[in-house]
Amino acid sequence: MAEVINDTSITKIKVQKSLSPWAVARRKFLRNKLAMVSLFFLMTVSILSFLAPYITTADITRVNIGSMSLTPSSEHWFGTDKSGRDVFTRLLYGGRVSLLVGISCTLLIITFGTLIGALAGFFGGIVDALLMRFTDFILNFPLLVFVIVLNAVFFGKLGGVPVLIAVISVLGWGGVARLVRSKILSEKENEYILAAISIGSRPAKVIMKHLLPNVLSTIIVQATLTFAAMIVVESGLSYLGFGVPAETPSWGNMLAASREPDVLQNMPWIWIPPALTLVITILSINFIGEGIKDALNPKSLR
Amino acid sequence: MSNVVDIQHKEQSPPLPTNHETLLEVKDLKTYYPVKGGFFRRTVGHVKAVDGVSFTLKKGETLGLVGESGCGKSTAGRTILKLLKPTGGSIVFNGEDITKIRGGRLRERRKDFQMVFQDPYASLNPMQMVGDIVSEPIKNYYPRKKAKEIKQEVMELLNRVGLPDDAYYKYAHEFSGGQRQRIGIARALALKPKLIIADEPVSALDVSVQSQVLNLLNELQDDFNLTYLFIAHDLSVVKHMSDKIGIMYLGHIVEIADKKSIYEEPLHPYTQALISAVPEPNPKKKKERIVLEGDVPSPENPPSGCPFHTRCPVAVDKCSTIKPELKEVKPGRQVACILVD
Repeated sequence: MAEVINDTSITKIKVQKSLSPWAVARRKFLRNKLAMVSLFFLMTVSILSFLAPYITTADITRVNIGSMSLTPSSEHWFGTDKSGRDVFTRLLYGGRVSLLVGISCTLLIITFGTLIGALAGFFGGIVDALLMRFTDFILNFPLLVFVIVLNAVFFGKLGGVPVLIAVISVLGWGGVARLVRSKILSEKENEYILAAISIGSRPAKVIMKHLLPNVLSTIIVQATLTFAAMIVVESGLSYLGFGVPAETPSWGNMLAASREPDVLQNMPWIWIPPALTLVITILSINFIGEGIKDALNPKSLR
Repeated sequence: MSNVVDIQHKEQSPPLPTNHETLLEVKDLKTYYPVKGGFFRRTVGHVKAVDGVSFTLKKGETLGLVGESGCGKSTAGRTILKLLKPTGGSIVFNGEDITKIRGGRLRERRKDFQMVFQDPYASLNPMQMVGDIVSEPIKNYYPRKKAKEIKQEVMELLNRVGLPDDAYYKYAHEFSGGQRQRIGIARALALKPKLIIADEPVSALDVSVQSQVLNLLNELQDDFNLTYLFIAHDLSVVKHMSDKIGIMYLGHIVEIADKKSIYEEPLHPYTQALISAVPEPNPKKKKERIVLEGDVPSPENPPSGCPFHTRCPVAVDKCSTIKPELKEVKPGRQVACILVD
C-alpha cells in the first residue's frame, strides 16, 4: 500500500490528464515534414478548387472561337484549349469534380465496407458466411466493364457525376470489407472483448466502442489509399470517355484532350497542368496516408 | 458412540458453512469445441474441454479450481458465466437456471456474476481511459444515472482497489501489470456482483505483486460479500484463497473437498501427485515426490475408463474400462476413483 500512496504524490506533480493514443498519433503526424507538406498541398488544391467560382470569372463551358489554342499569357495563365476555354479555370473546376468523386466514393466505400466487415467479423458463423459470399460476388464484377456497360445503358438518360459515384462505390467496397473483417477477427480474440460482453455491453456497443477504435488506424490508412485510387479511377474512366460527361470539366476529361496527337506533341500547356496536378495530388494523398500509418504505429519513434 | 464420532468429525471439518444458502450449482457441465475437418469443413470430432463438471458453491465461499494447463478450468469458468455456450448440463445461479437463457434476460443476469481475467494486458481496451473502462458496466445497467454520480462511484472503486485518483484520466498502458489487474478488479466490482470468477488473476504477475492482489481480493470478499470461483494452476495460491478446492484433470473434477483435507490427506492419486509437487520451504524435511510419467492425453481423444489411468501410478486393469463417478467418500469429500472408498 505504501508504494501506491507514493505513486499518487509523484503523479500529482506530473500532468493531470495523460495523452490519449490519438493525441500521441497527432503529435507524431505533425512532426512528419513530408506528410505536412503533402497535407498543405492537398488543402491548397482543395480550397482553390472549391472556391473556383470566386477565383476565376471565365465561363467554363462557352466555346470561344476567337481564342483557340492560345499559349500561356498573362490573360490566360495556362493558355487555352482547342475550344478556346481557359485551361486554368478548367483545372480549378476539374479539381472540384475529381476531388468530389474521390471523396464521395471513399466515404461510401469505407462506410459500407467497414459495416459489412465488422458485422461479418464480429458475429462469425452464418452471418460471416453470407456476408462474405456477397462480398466475393461483388468483387467478381469487373469494375471497368461494368461502368462502361452502365454508361451505355443509361446514355443520355441518367448519366453524370452522381451515377458515376454510385457505380464505383457499389462495386468498390469489397476489399475494405475483407480487410476490416480480418482485423476484427484478430482483435476480438482479446480478452477485453469478453470483458465487455460480461459487463453487459450490447453487440453494437462492443463493435462501436471496443472493436472499431482499435482497428480504426487500419481503416484510416485504407481510406487514404482508396481516396487516391478513386481519383485515378475517375480520371482513367474520363480519359477513356466513360466517366464524367464530356461537358463537365474534370482532370480526366482534360487529359482526354491529349488523345489527339497534335495536342500531345504541340500543345503541352493543355495537358501538362492537369497531369501534374493529378500526379502530385495522388502522391500527396499517399504521403499523408503513410504519415498517418507511421503516426498510429506505437512502435515508430518519430 | 458412533453418533458422537460423527459429530466430532463434522466439527473437524468446519470450512463448509452449512447454514449458508447455495449461490451456484453446476451439474454435469459439458463444453465441447467442434473440430472441423475435411473438404466441406464438417464437424469430425469434439475437443471435450469440460466433460461433466459438477459442484455447488455457497454464498460467501471460495472454491479453488486447480489443474494443469489445458485441463479445461478456464473453459469451465467462462461457460459458467455464459461467455461460452455450454454443450450440456445445467448451471443454476441464485435459484435460477441460467443454462438456456439468452439475449436481454441473460444481459440482465450478467450484472450478478463478473469475471477477473487472466491477462492484465489483453483484458483492458487500450483506447479507453481507465475511468471509462470502470464506468462502462455502470452506464450499461443504469443509463439514467447522472454522470457526476457515476464518476464519484468509479473514483471510490479505484481508491478501494488501491489506485490513485488521477488513474481515472489515464490509459491502461501507463500502469504496471499489478495495477492493471486492480483496474480489472474494479471493473468487475462496479456492478456489485454476487459471484466473481477469477481466472488465474495473478498467474501473469510478479511474485511480489501476486500477494498484494490476492490480499486485495480477500479484503474485497468481506467488504462486498463476494463468492469466488478461483481458477489457478498454483496450489499455494489456491491454498491462500480457498475454502474448498476442486482438482481438475482432462475436463473432469477428480476430487473436491475442503482445503484442509486436500492438503493433509489427498485421496485421488492425481491430487497426491500434485500435492507432492508443492515446494517445501524447509530443506531438512524430506518429502516423497510422486513424479507423473507421460503427457496429458488429448481432450479430443480422451482415454477410455478413468481419464487418468494412462498416467496413474496405482492404476489397475479395470481402470481402463470403468469410468469412475464423482462420489462422496466422506462427508464433504468427493473423489472420482474406483480405488478410493
